[in-house]
Amino acid sequence: MKQRLWQDISVGDELKAQTFPITVYRLVMAAGANRDFNAIHTNPEVAKQTGAPDIYANTLLLQGMWEKAVRQFIGLAGRVRSQKGFRMSSFNHPGDTVVVKGRVLRTWLENDKGLIEIDIWSENNHGVSVGPGRVIAELPLQQD
Amino acid sequence: MAEPDWRQHWQPMIDNIGKQFDDSPAVFSADVVERSAIRRYLEPLEFDCPLHYDVDVARAHGYRDVLLPNSAIPTFSYAPMWQPGETIFTSDKRNAPPAKTAVAGFRAPIEPETSAFFATNYDADYLLPVCAGDRLSRRGSRLLDCKPKETRVGRGAFITWESDVVNQDFEVVARLQTTFFRYNPHVGGDA
Repeated sequence: MKQRLWQDISVGDELKAQTFPITVYRLVMAAGANRDFNAIHTNPEVAKQTGAPDIYANTLLLQGMWEKAVRQFIGLAGRVRSQKGFRMSSFNHPGDTVVVKGRVLRTWLENDKGLIEIDIWSENNHGVSVGPGRVIAELPLQQD
Repeated sequence: MAEPDWRQHWQPMIDNIGKQFDDSPAVFSADVVERSAIRRYLEPLEFDCPLHYDVDVARAHGYRDVLLPNSAIPTFSYAPMWQPGETIFTSDKRNAPPAKTAVAGFRAPIEPETSAFFATNYDADYLLPVCAGDRLSRRGSRLLDCKPKETRVGRGAFITWESDVVNQDFEVVARLQTTFFRYNPHVGGDA
């Protein structure tokens, strides 16, 4: 994993897109791993009873997708400070492929810390399904 | 007499925006954060970051043990699904839920009855790292917002709660704002 320094980052830099094909198997694994056992995420009958067309990815899985994309960009020495504006605007069903994308909105120094703000969102076959939200992260500074 | 607008059922919630509904003492999750549970969290994400599975890498970056992904903090602050002495599977109906669940979110006693829900929004401030060996608890439920709405799936309200997650030393590791859509599905089927 490449380690970027704060000085390496420019407004408009893009995160490497992260792709997540959604399958029933993946959703069941996610429920076991993140313990969101709400049946709307694993049982199509229950999902349909609640008005959804099919089971859909839970928000913990979708947030993990964002974190994976951000981590790939900020490297091991980076640190995520906040996530705002995570909003699931449409469901992500088996058969969809979720792609997380993002770009740097601003960079600034605060108390000798190098900070960046990232605009981040998820797309599926039907358009933007999560976000856009904002992640603020800290990156290491180049030492003179 | 005309039936009152369904939105009026949510007015007591709206009137209590800003109120802290849960001032009970912190109850810690059943398990400490464990390396194996973190590793399993990574699997469906194919989240290949050694901070989360290689203790040497984590320590080289200043962490006491492998680092919990921030997105996993809610998972590791859930109450247990089952505890010794409890019976939670009380029905053999195919789709019957357990008698209790840790993932239903906080419900205020003044909330109207609803039969379905899902989480929609998350805002989070991550204040301290969480590592294997820590133990977490969710503390407080302050009502931040309640917006009645009819959507494609049913009638209900978007309800936003704020809570803190604390570690075993009662340090706040994260402040979370979570929005649930609680609703009654439209009668008659699929959206």
